[in-house]
Amino acid sequence: MKRGIHLWLLAPGLLLLAMLMGGPVALLALESLKPFIPGSMRPGEGWTLAHYRELLQPAYLVYFWETFRIGLIVSTLSLLLGAPLAFAAVRSPRAAVRKGLLALLVGLLVMSLIARLYAIEMAWGSLGPLAPLGALLGFAPRHPRYAEVLVGIGLLHFTLPVVALMLVGTFRALSPRLEEAAASLGATRSDAVVSILLPLAAPGLVSAFLVALAMCISNFVAPLVLGRGVVVFTTSLMYTRFADIGNYPSGAAIGITMLILAFLVVYGLSALARRLVPR
Amino acid sequence: MKVALDLAARTLARLAVLAAVLFLLVPLLVACLLSFDDRSFLGAFPPQQFSLRWYRAFASNPTYLDGLLISLQLGLVAALIATTLGTLGALALMDPRLAGRDALEAVFLSPKFVPTVVIGFSLLVFTARLGIFDPFTRLVMGHVVITLPFTLRAVLASLIGVKRSQIEAAISLGASEARALWDVAVPAARSGIVAGAAMAFVLSFDEVAVSLFLSDAFTQTLPIALVAEMRANLNLTIAAVSTVFLAATLLLLLLLDRTIGIERLAGDVGARG
Repeated sequence: MKRGIHLWLLAPGLLLLAMLMGGPVALLALESLKPFIPGSMRPGEGWTLAHYRELLQPAYLVYFWETFRIGLIVSTLSLLLGAPLAFAAVRSPRAAVRKGLLALLVGLLVMSLIARLYAIEMAWGSLGPLAPLGALLGFAPRHPRYAEVLVGIGLLHFTLPVVALMLVGTFRALSPRLEEAAASLGATRSDAVVSILLPLAAPGLVSAFLVALAMCISNFVAPLVLGRGVVVFTTSLMYTRFADIGNYPSGAAIGITMLILAFLVVYGLSALARRLVPR
Repeated sequence: MKVALDLAARTLARLAVLAAVLFLLVPLLVACLLSFDDRSFLGAFPPQQFSLRWYRAFASNPTYLDGLLISLQLGLVAALIATTLGTLGALALMDPRLAGRDALEAVFLSPKFVPTVVIGFSLLVFTARLGIFDPFTRLVMGHVVITLPFTLRAVLASLIGVKRSQIEAAISLGASEARALWDVAVPAARSGIVAGAAMAFVLSFDEVAVSLFLSDAFTQTLPIALVAEMRANLNLTIAAVSTVFLAATLLLLLLLDRTIGIERLAGDVGARG
C-alpha cells in the first residue's frame, strides 16, 4: 500500500520529464546522426557521424575553447567574491548586515536576468560610467574584444548570487564553535577560517564552482545580448545553425555535445572532486 | 606580525564583500537613473533632465504589452503545473525508505543542468514531429520542464523538518497515507511551496532560450521582444522596463519576507545541486 502512494506521487512528474525532456532529447540525438540536405527542412536518409567530426575541426573547437575560457574565469571570480560574501551573510556579528546581504542575494536570484544584462550594458558599455574601470581589464570600450569583458561581467552577475547562496548553505552547516575552539587555542580569526573552515567547506566550494561553470557554458542570453556578435558561445552557434542556416542535424549535434559537456562538468567532475577532496 | 597579517586578511575580505555588493548593485542603479532621462537618445551618463517619457513609450508599445500579457499567462500556468508536480514528487522523495531515492531526486533535478537551448531545440523538433504547432502549448511544455526542478527542490528543503514518525503517528490514528501527508506534510511544506511557485514564475517570466525556439511571430513573450529590441538598437525604453522589473522584484522580496522570512527563503531557494 505504501509503495502505491509513492508511485502515484512520483508518476506525474516522471511521466512529464520522460515525455517532454527524455523523448525530445533522444529524438535530438537521432536527428544529429542524420545527413543534412541543404535547402531542405527534412534530414536525409541513412546515418552519419559527420556533424560530430565537423565539431572536432579547429574552426569549431575555437568556439568551445572560447566558451570554456570565459566560463572558467567567471566561475573563479564568482568563487573569490562569493565566498567572502556568503561568509559575511552567515557570520557577520551584525544582524542587519546578515539580513541585508541575504535579501540582496535572494533579490538578485529572482530579478530578471535580461534587465540585469541591460543594466550592465548601460553601466559598463562604451557610454557607461563604469567603462573606464572596464578598460582596465585589457581592452578599450570601443574595441571589438571589449565584448568579452561585457559578457564576462554579465555572466558574473548571473553566477555570483547563486554561488554565494550555495555557500551560505555550506557555511551554515559548519558550527561557529569550530572557529571559537581554534581561537581559544590561540589562532587569529583569519587563521581559523583558512586552516579550519575552508578545508571543511572544500566540497561545497568545489560544487559551487562547478555549478557556476555549468551555468556559464550553457548560458545563451549573455553572449546574445552583450556579445555584439563577436563573442560566440556554443549555445549561440547552435542557435544560428538552426535559425540562419536551417541545418537541424548539425544544430542537434552541437546540442548533444553541449549536453554531454554540461553533465560531465556537473556530475563527472563532482564525482572526481569527491574522490580527491575527502570529507 | 601575526596580528598584522590577520588584520590584512580581514580587511581584504571586507573589501571583497564591498566590491561584490557594489558590483551587483551599481549597474541596476545606473539603469534606474537612465530610465528617467529626458533626452530622446542614449547620451553620456549622468542624465541632465528627467522625465517619464520612456515609461510612456513602454506603456504605448503594443509589442511589449502583448508580450507582457503572454508572459504573465505563461508564467502562471507553468508555475501552477510545476508547483503541483514538484510538490507531489517532493512528498514521495521525503520518505527516507523510498528505494532509489537519490537517483529519483537526481532525475527530477536534471533539467537544471540541461542547457536551455537544448530543451528548446529538442522540444521544437519533438512537437513538430507530433504535429503540435500551437505556440502557447509549446511554450507551457518547455517552461514546465525548466521550472520543475526548482519547485521540487524548494518543497523538499522545507520538508526537512518533518519526521517520518509524525506521519506514522497520523496513520496509526487511523488516517490513510494520503490523508496523513495532506494533513501533516503539506502544511509544513507551505513555505517551500510558496518559494518554489515564486521561483518558477520568475524563471518562466524571464526565460529567453526556450521561448525563442518555441514561440512564433504572433506569440512573443516579453523577454523575446526585449532581446530583439536590445540587439536592434539600444534605447531607454528597456531601462524603464528594467526599473519596473526592479520595483516588482523588491515588492516580491518584501512579500516573501513577510510570509516566509528571508533567512528561511535563502535556505529554500539557495540549496542547489
